[in-house]
Amino acid sequence: METPKLSPSQLTGPEWLQAKRAGSLTSYNDLPLPQRGLHLWRYTDPRTFVIDSAEATTTSVESTFADVARVEKQHFDDGHLDALVIDNQGQTITSDLSADASAAGLVAGSLTAALDSHRELAERYLYALVNTAFGKFEAMNGALWQDGVFVYVPDNAVLTRPIHLLREAGTNGSRQFPRLLVIVGANAEATVIDEYGGGADEAGDTPSYSNGVVEVFGGAGSRTRYISLQRHGRGMNAYLTHRAQIANDASMVTVPLAFGGATTKQNFGVNLNGRGANSEMAGLLFGGNYQHFDNHTLHHHTVGDTYSNIDYRVALKDRALSAYTGLIRIDQKAKNCEAYQENRNLLLNPGTRAETIPELEILNEDVSCSHGATVGPIDPLMLFYLTCRGIPTDVATRMIVSGFVASTFDKIPSDARERVAAIVESRLGDI
Amino acid sequence: MSDAVTKQKEDLSRLNEDYATKYGFHDPVDYFDQGAKGLSHEVVEMISQKKKEPRWMADRRHEALDIFYEKPTPKWGNVDLLEEINYENIYYYLKPTGQSESWDDVPEYIKQTFDKLGIPQAEREFLGGVSAQYESEVVYHSMRKDLEEKGVVFLDMDSGLRERPDIVEKYFGTVIPSNDNKFAALNTSVWSGGSFIYVPPGVDVEIPLQAYFRINAENMGQFERTLIIADKGSRVHYIEGCTAPVYSTNSLHSAVVELIALDDAYIRYTTIQNWARNIYNLVTKRATAHRGATVEWVDGNIGSRLTMKYPCIQLVGEGAKGEILSVAFAGVDQHQDAGAKVIHAAPRTSSRITSKSISKDNGRASYRGLVKIHKNAEASKVSVECDALLIGTDARSDTYPTMEIDNDQVAIEHEARVSKVAEEQLFYLTSRGLNEDEARLLIVNGFMEPFTKELPMEYAVELNRLIELEMEGSIG
Repeated sequence: METPKLSPSQLTGPEWLQAKRAGSLTSYNDLPLPQRGLHLWRYTDPRTFVIDSAEATTTSVESTFADVARVEKQHFDDGHLDALVIDNQGQTITSDLSADASAAGLVAGSLTAALDSHRELAERYLYALVNTAFGKFEAMNGALWQDGVFVYVPDNAVLTRPIHLLREAGTNGSRQFPRLLVIVGANAEATVIDEYGGGADEAGDTPSYSNGVVEVFGGAGSRTRYISLQRHGRGMNAYLTHRAQIANDASMVTVPLAFGGATTKQNFGVNLNGRGANSEMAGLLFGGNYQHFDNHTLHHHTVGDTYSNIDYRVALKDRALSAYTGLIRIDQKAKNCEAYQENRNLLLNPGTRAETIPELEILNEDVSCSHGATVGPIDPLMLFYLTCRGIPTDVATRMIVSGFVASTFDKIPSDARERVAAIVESRLGDI
Repeated sequence: MSDAVTKQKEDLSRLNEDYATKYGFHDPVDYFDQGAKGLSHEVVEMISQKKKEPRWMADRRHEALDIFYEKPTPKWGNVDLLEEINYENIYYYLKPTGQSESWDDVPEYIKQTFDKLGIPQAEREFLGGVSAQYESEVVYHSMRKDLEEKGVVFLDMDSGLRERPDIVEKYFGTVIPSNDNKFAALNTSVWSGGSFIYVPPGVDVEIPLQAYFRINAENMGQFERTLIIADKGSRVHYIEGCTAPVYSTNSLHSAVVELIALDDAYIRYTTIQNWARNIYNLVTKRATAHRGATVEWVDGNIGSRLTMKYPCIQLVGEGAKGEILSVAFAGVDQHQDAGAKVIHAAPRTSSRITSKSISKDNGRASYRGLVKIHKNAEASKVSVECDALLIGTDARSDTYPTMEIDNDQVAIEHEARVSKVAEEQLFYLTSRGLNEDEARLLIVNGFMEPFTKELPMEYAVELNRLIELEMEGSIG
């Protein structure tokens, strides 16, 4: 299928960035729409993410946004956060930094502003992982992002409290291209909560659209936690590509959480690029109604003596669908690697659909790898055990599901855990 | 080193030269009937005419050829190798001789071929029936009298079409339609030979039926077509083996195998694929299991340059069972893209997939699978287990399972492990006086055991020998 060629009125930014944007635009316009037969597109219609005009469209935001922002501001004022960044549809980006964080040299705020203030870093790292030729939709973001968020944690800086990014999308018919660049220096430590809210409220509304790209770098010996919380409205079609790279002895925990949206396609990947690097992913997805989720994860071991683990959990009810494709790739020269992957799917009622494709590509012998996947309803034995002890079936069901999601909850900093718990709770409400 | 060990090592080094002498020879043949190279409607018509087929089959062939032309080459598996196939440089039909029912009537050179491969000997010893295909045609065929009396039909596919057109027309292409994939279309258009088996209701074929496929000529394409129907409550075990000489140019083997297990029937289909390293082995195998029926694929892939084969079971009747046991050995320059598919389309169906692969040197073994649970298949169970063993730094192993689950009342498990030969196991064995070669071989044999123990004795022995042969010299 031919997709409309995009021709933005201008490509903003300094010269080097204009060149990247132009390259991205060429890629987007030249690359064909992915074929449905290609395995990453087997379950999702790529036309969902095609747009006809290159301009971002902003709208007013939901009134609930003010409440959420107020709560987070209070958290910040109470000293629970090292930084709070509020991104309103890529238009206005405001940030607060704690005194400790400022003293440690943390930068968290507008990406456009960082193009001036941290030009070298921006030029070196932006597009380094998700480049202009990464894929058609990634190129769309590469050409069209307006503003985004820039987080820089200098070498040896240890931030004990989360950096919370609150990113709100517009409502009906809005269109945005969020971008995030996180650079964590050598031996530094940081937690980033990347929270995506907003979007058209209901499935029947004029859909809103979001196409985001995230790049995260963990320097040597750094410890990074990155939590991606997607709680868009039910009328949002969201596409997100995340790539991280970690250097030697760095560890990274990536927590992709997906609850909202109409059609959501997300791709999380970590490249283990230095000896001793260690990556953990703990994903959780809870779908209801007619929600459609298509998630990919990648652990790419390019260097030996590296360790990775993925635990991706899916709970589905109503008519929700989840497709999960997880790839572990171990390059030929990457000896002595360990890589594990697990995908559990809990189907809470008839009519749900779960597809799971855990993949391995192992190009050398000196590895230890395994993956597992399960799909099934709540174990009737567990339910029986609880109900014989006088617990009503619905309560017992909720308890079991709470147990199912608990291991992922442990990976979520307390600041975001409340909100995630509230979402899960509301999903469980009508079981 | 003990004498026994020395002897074993000598045996092993002898085995190393084995394929060339044992299977790698070829006969200089003046073919009785030889079509032109290349593929066209004329070639298809020629094949059909020579076989004096009914018109519906000829039409089916032409229709399939058009589908073949239309369908693109798959963009997955091993795209580079698939693109290399030159369909114009292949003989689609070679007929060496007429068919014999007595071994004595088989031409000497073919007889020698199959004698070397041990076919009639095996028949005498433990088989209920034997069919031997040389190039495009089945050259030898026999079946035990008692089975014939029970109404068991075991024929080559061409004779099946002549003698039992009713059954063939009813079932041919119902499990794998021509438009299923490019290679199924190719097979449907130029098929020749293969086996046709019909087991009447309630008959238990206690001893295995066997077919042996041999490609002799260079640039030969073998397109056998097999159809097995086990009527209600019957049981049958079918075994096939295959070899070819070693040529410098590639040959193509593209079979279609359809199994139909009617209510409560049982079919086991065992393959030991040991094609020479220049054969492209692109095979479509699929079974339909009706109510209460059981189908088992036991699939061993040792040879070929590229194999793309995913035996499939469609469980369409309540309580049907499927089991796929697959083993692949990918040595130098080989790509074994094997796997399994199970479609659960009825309630209370169960399936188990066990895949074992070994990648050695620069070999690449891929598991590619599909488990599909349809909405109506409640209370179904699936268990998938993939184990991969890597030997050597250039070896590659891939796992691409797909599970599509449309029913919530099911239990699905998938597990895969990839590892090299464990250091502790090697240490354990070597500390007990085995050298590293022997220890490794022992571990590999243990790894394969769940598969080998499912084979008839002779095959298990043969497979172990093949593995030994492949393993020889694996440690620098």
